[in-house]
Amino acid sequence: MDEKKEFTPSIIYGLCSWCGTGGSETAGAMHLQYADNIRPFRVPCTGAIDPVYILRALIEGADGFAVSGCHPGDCHFDSGNYRARRRIAVLKSLLDTFGLDSERVLLRWVGHGEGKRFADTVNEFNDYIKEMKKNPLAERRDT
Amino acid sequence: MIKGIWVEGPVKKGVLDFLNGLLAEKKIKAVLMPAKNKGGDSYAWFLMGKDRLLESADPVPPVMTTQGANVVSYLTKKGPVWEKTAVLLRPCEYRAVIELAKIKQVDLTNLVLISFDCPGAYPLEKYVNGDPEELDESFEVCLGGVVELDGPRNVCAICHRFTGTGADIEIGLMGGEGKGFWLVPGSKQGEELLDGAVGSESDNIDVREKAISDRTIARETKRNNTLDSFQETVMGPENLLNTLSACINCHNCSRVCPICFCRECYFDSKALSSEADNMLQRAQRKSGLRLPPDLLLFHLGRMSHMSVSCVSCGACEDACPANVPVSMLFALAGRNTQAVFDYEPGRRLDEAIPHTVFKFEELKDFETPYIKEYSKV
Ligand code: SF4
Ligand code: SF4
Repeated sequence: MDEKKEFTPSIIYGLCSWCGTGGSETAGAMHLQYADNIRPFRVPCTGAIDPVYILRALIEGADGFAVSGCHPGDCHFDSGNYRARRRIAVLKSLLDTFGLDSERVLLRWVGHGEGKRFADTVNEFNDYIKEMKKNPLAERRDT
Repeated sequence: MIKGIWVEGPVKKGVLDFLNGLLAEKKIKAVLMPAKNKGGDSYAWFLMGKDRLLESADPVPPVMTTQGANVVSYLTKKGPVWEKTAVLLRPCEYRAVIELAKIKQVDLTNLVLISFDCPGAYPLEKYVNGDPEELDESFEVCLGGVVELDGPRNVCAICHRFTGTGADIEIGLMGGEGKGFWLVPGSKQGEELLDGAVGSESDNIDVREKAISDRTIARETKRNNTLDSFQETVMGPENLLNTLSACINCHNCSRVCPICFCRECYFDSKALSSEADNMLQRAQRKSGLRLPPDLLLFHLGRMSHMSVSCVSCGACEDACPANVPVSMLFALAGRNTQAVFDYEPGRRLDEAIPHTVFKFEELKDFETPYIKEYSKV
């Protein structure tokens, strides 16, 4: 087994309780397979995800953090996803500023019925993070 | 609107005379500004009135003690002031006041905001532990805008927004060469207050405008170059954590920050306190754990909350007991996060803070597009 295969990334997936979670349910109903090392993290709305949660995950051991919720225009709370997008933009530009792998954070909208899109997103991100290897922050004791 | 009134003579005295005049004519009821303390080694804010200012009042102090926006926020926390009150602010303090007004932490009703062309400020520690008299003297020389301040705070050396553009009244020092100053109205209220002020209708104000634009261009270049080379020294986990390694987690930087207004800061809250067991597990994962924990989380998290509104005033670094270059870290973070929204904190009252608004179509670069046929597994 080569080294790449051995590395199973730890990935947190922030899903809103409406579309994101819905997408994962649809994927299940469609019997789609997806990487089982992702850990779903259900929130009422993507707008409820403070960048601090993402930072904490990345600092304490996650190799990647994905966020999915309702497409623009479909937010259950009207505008939570637009706010989430702004927060993630700020977070990613901070990570870029300090050379801390902003690609470890992924934002992609997934609708309730989009089971395939959900499964694809999980697999794609999982493969991507595998290529990136372990998150160096996770192993630093001086954080 | 008149362009400005030229007041000949010593700057600080002239400004105080002007303010005393406004008080005497009852155009304003009180003035909020710093005054030198009895010991002579620092400044504190005072609310002054009814009829005259404190003898030790200083409209252009050489240090920034409490950030002025914090003082204004304190004053109007429970509602507006009832009578006209003038506040003397450094440009970065003024911009922080505007940011706080946007999120209703300052009530601008009845306030007259006055700012000045800022020569910069000395590090607080340098002033308090140094020779204030000598520093006062070299500061005075810089008021006219010809000589640059020697050994200012890091953020002052690269400050490109050193005028109080937008304030009701600007005290124009640049180009005055210390022989006098201009009173420049920036609003209708400012113009009314200047009506009848002692001085001459100005025909030489383009000297100031020229001096400002020259210095702005030079400072913009200096700011970007300095921040770029600073960035190289803090990029990546190793460099960044080394830069932060002296931090003692006291959170002073956030406590003195005017933009960090939260009643209870998330990073001081119970949300972050965990059982010993949790910390032992983290230590196991990381082969050791620095305590108190969450150092990087605090700094990056705070940046994610407030860097879009960071006015680069440097209060954080003045308050840091551990010599962490906090103000440079936040200046760098702010420059980059503000650029995402083409936002400049404190520029205009009607420009909403990016976190409070959105556009339907924007920020596509921060989303990962869906590759339709991703068909592994
Ligand atoms: S760091 Fe965040 S939670 Fe703490 S005071 Fe600043 S904005 Fe508020
Ligand atoms: S003031 Fe300095 S030592 Fe205290 S938390 Fe901020 S950076 Fe750390």
